[in-house]
Parts: sequence; C-alpha cells; structure tokens
Amino acid sequence: MTVPTSTRAEENAGLGLFLRKHANEAGLFVAIAVLYTILAVFAPNFSTAANLLNILRDAAFVGIIAWGMTLVLISGEIDISVGPHVAFAGVALALFAQQGMNIYAAALVVMLLGACIGIFIGVLRSYFDVPSFIVTLALWLALRGIAQVMSDAVPVVIADYHFQRLGSGWFLGVPIPAIVMIVLFFLFSFISTGTVFGRSVYAVGGNAEAARLSGIPVAKIRIQVFAITGVLAALTGVLVASRLGSGNSGAASGLEFDIIAAVVVGGTSLFGGRGTMLGTLLGIIFIAALVNGLVLLGVDPFAQGIVRGFVILAAVMVNIISIKRMRI
Amino acid sequence: MTSALVELKGISKAYPGVVALEAVDFFLAAGEVRALLGKNGAGKSTLIKILAGVVKSDSGTIKIAGEIKSFQSPADGIKAGIATVHQELSVVPDMSVAENIYLGSWPRRNGRIDWDEMHRGAAEVLLRLGVTIEPKLSIRKISIAERQLVEIGRALRQGARILILDEPTSSLVAHEVEVLLAVIRSLSASGTGIVYISHRMDEIRKIATSVTIMRDGKHIATGPVNEFSSRQVVEMLLGTKDQGAQKLTSNVAATAPVAFSVQNLSVAPRVVAASFDIREGEVLGIAGVLGSGRTEILQALAGLRPFKADAATLRGKNYRPSNLAEAMACGVIMTPEDRRGEGAVTMLGIDENLVMSNWASVSRFGTINRSAMVKKVTASIRTLGIKLARPDEALANLSGGNQQKVVIGKALNANPKILLLDEPTRGVDIGAKRQIYELMRQFAERGFALVFVSSELEEFCEVCDRVIVLRSGHVTAELSGEKITTQRLLDLTMGEQREHN
Repeated sequence: MTVPTSTRAEENAGLGLFLRKHANEAGLFVAIAVLYTILAVFAPNFSTAANLLNILRDAAFVGIIAWGMTLVLISGEIDISVGPHVAFAGVALALFAQQGMNIYAAALVVMLLGACIGIFIGVLRSYFDVPSFIVTLALWLALRGIAQVMSDAVPVVIADYHFQRLGSGWFLGVPIPAIVMIVLFFLFSFISTGTVFGRSVYAVGGNAEAARLSGIPVAKIRIQVFAITGVLAALTGVLVASRLGSGNSGAASGLEFDIIAAVVVGGTSLFGGRGTMLGTLLGIIFIAALVNGLVLLGVDPFAQGIVRGFVILAAVMVNIISIKRMRI
Repeated sequence: MTSALVELKGISKAYPGVVALEAVDFFLAAGEVRALLGKNGAGKSTLIKILAGVVKSDSGTIKIAGEIKSFQSPADGIKAGIATVHQELSVVPDMSVAENIYLGSWPRRNGRIDWDEMHRGAAEVLLRLGVTIEPKLSIRKISIAERQLVEIGRALRQGARILILDEPTSSLVAHEVEVLLAVIRSLSASGTGIVYISHRMDEIRKIATSVTIMRDGKHIATGPVNEFSSRQVVEMLLGTKDQGAQKLTSNVAATAPVAFSVQNLSVAPRVVAASFDIREGEVLGIAGVLGSGRTEILQALAGLRPFKADAATLRGKNYRPSNLAEAMACGVIMTPEDRRGEGAVTMLGIDENLVMSNWASVSRFGTINRSAMVKKVTASIRTLGIKLARPDEALANLSGGNQQKVVIGKALNANPKILLLDEPTRGVDIGAKRQIYELMRQFAERGFALVFVSSELEEFCEVCDRVIVLRSGHVTAELSGEKITTQRLLDLTMGEQREHN
C-alpha cells in the first residue's frame, strides 16, 4: 500500500499546476456549483429539466455573440453595438422576406451585412484611430435608429412556420439556438487556441507594438475580430427574429451589456491579452442561472437589476483577486 | 567663487546587490556650470536624484545655500529651488506654453484662472531666458527644443536656483543646441547653479566652467574644465587602462561578400549622410552618443522609417523597404531597444513569443501544428540557453536577460539574413550579456550579418568585428579588429578625435 512519495508529489504538482493555470475557470466552476445548489434548494422548479433547458436557450442569445466579444476584448477592443445590431438584422431580415426574398437567402445576406458592419468598425479603428468604443457607440445609436426608421418601429411579421422553428424549435430535446451556441463554442475554442489568427489576437491585445514588430498584421487582425462579431450579431438577430416570428426594432435591448458582463465575469481582461472561451461559457451559464433564479424566486424585477449588478461586480472582483493570488 | 550653493557631503546609497554611490562629495557654487561625466552605472543619475529629492540617500548631508536639508519628496527639492529637466520632457502637449510654465499653480483671481496674469508672467519668464516663444501657443505647435526651453522656464518660474539638465542636447539639432547653450549662459550669469550631464566633450568645453567625473559610484575628480585634457577625462571615466574583457571576435576576411551597403543614408531628422557596408559573417557595431541617430538607422533599415540614400543594396539588389513586412520578407529583422514596450508580449507564453515572428513555419492553413511548434520551441530554448520551468509559462516570469534572449530568439526564428539589435544588453546581468554576445557570434559565424547598437562602449570591443562611429548625422570614423578600444571609441563618440590624429 505504499505509494512512492515522489510520484504523489508529482501528481500534486500536476494538479496544482492545472489549478494555477486554470484558476479563473476553476473558481467560476465552484461559484456556479454554489449558485446552483442555493437555487436548487430555494427556488421552486429551478432544477427541473425544462427549466435548465430554458436557461440554456436564454443563454444562447447571449452566448453566440459572446464568443466573438471574447475575441474583441482579448484584442484590447470593445464592441457595444451588438444589441442594436441584433435588432437591425432582425428587421432587415423580415423586410427582405416581405419583399419576397427566400428567408434563408435573406438570412445569409443579413449575415454578410453583419460582416460589413464589423469591417467598417475595424477599418475606422485601425486606419483612422477612432477608439472602438466611440465607433460602436455611434453604431449603437445608428443601427437601432435605422431599424426603427425601416420598420416604423412596428414589428415586421415573418409568416414562415418552418423558419420560426429555427429560434424556437428543438433538436434531440435541446433548443436549436443552444445547439448553435455549443457548436460555435467548440469552433471558437479551437480558433482561439489552435490557429495563428487566434494567437495573434492575444498578441495584439497583449502588446500591439510588439506584435506589429514581429510581423503580425495588427490592422487586419482587428478588422477580422470585428467582422466575426458582426456576423455573430447578425446570426443572433436571425435567431431572435425566428423566435419572435417578426423583425422587431426594439429587440435585444441591453443585450450588449449582458454579453460584456458574461465575458468579463468569465475572466477576460478589458485591457486585452487575457481570456478564454471556457471562461466565457462559465460566465454565461453563471449569469443566465442567476437571472433565471431571481425570476423563480419572485424577486421584484427592479430589485433584480440591483442584485445582478452587485453579483457581477463581486464575481469579477473574486476573479481578479484569485488570478492575482495564483499568478503563474 | 561665491558661496557654495550646493554642498553634498559623504553621500552613499546602496540598492540590493549594488552600491550606487559611495561617500560622494559634491559642491556647486552660484553661477557655476558643472559638467557631470560618467559611464552608464557610474552613479550620475543616483546623485542627481538625491540632489532633487527623488531618492533618499542612505547617509551623508545635503546643504542648500548653507542650510541642511532632508528631502522627503521631489516637492521638497523644488521648494528648495532645485529643478531637473530630463531627456523625457514633462510638458502637457494640449496646454499652452503659459499654462505649462505655470503648471499646477496657475494664477487665480476670484477663484478663476487669471489668464492675463499668466500670459504676462510667462512672457516675462521667456524674456528672462532670452527666447521668443508666444505664450499662447499650444505645446503641440512648438518644437522639441522649444518645449525644453518651456520646461526650463517653468523651473525658473518656480524659483529654481539649481538647474539639473540631463543630456539636454540628445534630441536637439545643431542650431537648437546653440540656443540652449545661450540660455544656460544667461542663467549662469544671473547666478543659477547648473549641473549639466552630457557626453559631448565639444559642448562641455563650450559651456561648462568645471567638470566632475564619476566612476563606479565614486567621485573621481573635480576641477576647472580647462585643466583636463580629453585624454585625461577618458582615462578617468574608464579607470585603469586595462581593456578588461577578452575579445570574442573572429576576424572576417576582407574578401567576404558585402551583405548590405548604403551610400549617403539620410533619415530625418538626425541622420544626414551616413555611408557604410556590412559583410556577410560580420558583426558591425554602431557607436554614438544618445541622439546620434543609431536607432534611426536601424529603424530605417527595418522598414519602420522612411529614408533617402544615393544607393542601398542588399546582397547586390536594390533595397528600399516601404514597410516592416517588406523588410522582413527580405530577411532584415530588428529587435527594438524597449524590450517591455515593443520587444515581447510578456503576458503570453515563452513558446508563443518565440514563434510569433514566423507562424508560417509552425502552421498549415492557419492552423497551428503543435508538434512542429514544440520542436521549434525546444530547439530555440536550447540554442538560447534559457532556464525555464515550462515553455508555456508567461514570459513575464523570466529575468530581464532571459526575456531579452527570447526577443532575440524570436528574431532568429524569422530566418534573418541581417539581424539588427538595438541595445540588446540593456538592463541585462553580466552572465546573460556574455550569452547574448555568444549568440551574436554564432549567428555571424553561420555567415550572416549583424548590426549591433549599444550605449556601453566596452561592449563593442568584446563582440564586434568592426565599429562605425556616428556623429552629427555622419559616419565619422571606423575601427576594426584590435583597434576597437573603449578609449578610442569614447574619444571618437565624444568628438575630439583631433587630439589623437
């Protein structure tokens, strides 16, 4: 029964190393476990399968864009235009469909448009040195404005039952948007860790000048990051329109801040250079569960905002402290 | 000589592992212009920091105008009438000249800023300096030299009686230097004591009344400037005449093909017409004082600065890179002098930093090939001799020397034909320095060309086959092989070679 001490020490070192490298994710995992336990005990119906799938679907509308947003923040930028972009994409889709365009073709056009909007942001940032916060603030105003003008601020109905299944339907017992989110999670995990583009995003956010002097095309990387996020925002717009059965200029109000909160809770640095897709996934689950739990607990909707605000702040602080403590 | 304005006695200061100052005495009279000379690490900057109240000395006394002072902060130093103008200017670019002269203590009337009084006061200060700068102009609209004068004006306005100028001419062109020297003369005439740090002997002869030489944290000599010949100054700066370290150089055959050649290279604003060539397998040093244009030459070759030249050829082909990517494609790779700011992404892993300059070599269709990357990184780490726990640990965890090796390794992984190293040994310990020299020699022995820039002249002797000396925008001298000595380089860079010719 004797175990060589050296082996045990090595194992401990291995586990310790793993924990140190993933301190952030491990901490979040514990936080989620605690949150789930509390809600499972106190919130009626929280732990039912139906409710957990609900959480997953709500999470999807935050999560799909969050993968792109994670890259945006890692590259040291920010994009606050995604909420209005979702509304704009939905209205554009519905209007194309009303003009008689095939709805799926229209969806592709809208996503292409999304890429163009992202490229626009990236070009202004890279070649004209306009801070991305300002560019996307302008688009935050303009995109919802365009959506309202185009639709007279009235929902534009999409009468296509087949299409509506995209946002509200199920596949193998899981909401379709959630499946999209999870597939994209794996894709973006690979992009961020296994591709030259992904690693270049980290380098640009970590030290743009060093990246430039190493021959990394900094401007191109920035443009690509915004283009990807634009496509993901348009895709979310398509799914939201499908779920609602209409293009709605008021849709996804405040979504950009839910997304940024989830990404930041997930340990991505607002200063760039640091962050993981797994962290973002955990951040999304944490916030989605919290929001859902507060509703089930019957907390006053206005008070919910207060709780969410402070819980997010606490989560980020715990995160920063734990990363500082376990700095490798 | 009037009464002593500054009286530093027995000043000592130790940092962990190094003694920066050892029982240094320093006196300065009103109206005196004192040149303070010393190599890097001689203790000049520690001394002026103690005088200005930025750093506290471990022992010794400070007397200003006969009064014993114990400075707790730079504010105390300013109150006692001591002002420092650094190479890095501290003016606020979006404010006007007058606002900068009154920075932080703008005149007020009835709780509001009294603009009339401020403009009047600023004009008066500038008049006292004998310069004509419009007080209402924004700092952005005036030259670096004028900004420096604004800073001197601020010191004057604060009532400075002792003005410390730290390499004030390093970023100035010739006629601007003359203006500055005139200002210094008029300040000196009105009784201000001036400490002038510079390495340009010709300037020192023009402006200084006396000179203090420091070496290894000790005071070596002080006396009227005309009592020292330049040769004596150099000998005192260097200490014993031994040339110290052994040479690593292997002499390159004069028949080796020319890797790069340039005629009358001009890089605005400092390089006027520099001509030189580099042979394959050669380590070429570029020596020159701060601001002589060494970095600008490297940046021009690396595609980071536009340049003009009568002819520039790389391995016989015309070489005119319009950007960094073109230069890199030609195999011209530079490592920047600011390691933290520009050299590496310290929060990323050592492995990624090493391959960042050449992702193509470890990827296919944009996807990273892990085993190729591990192989490349392992090989690099072995070549560079980096001590580390794991290749993927953050670069920030390594010592400065090892970080620098990674920066060089990154450049080597881009397959350079010409490697340009800007101050690769700055802030690096002696052991790592030697390893970096060896890396440089290895690279040259493989038949490639290397250009090396350093502020520490001793280094050229240890590692270079040939050194060119850069002065006022021209290549003014060239030394090779055994002729490269610190003393000779010091003479040549400070600009009094006539004494030896």
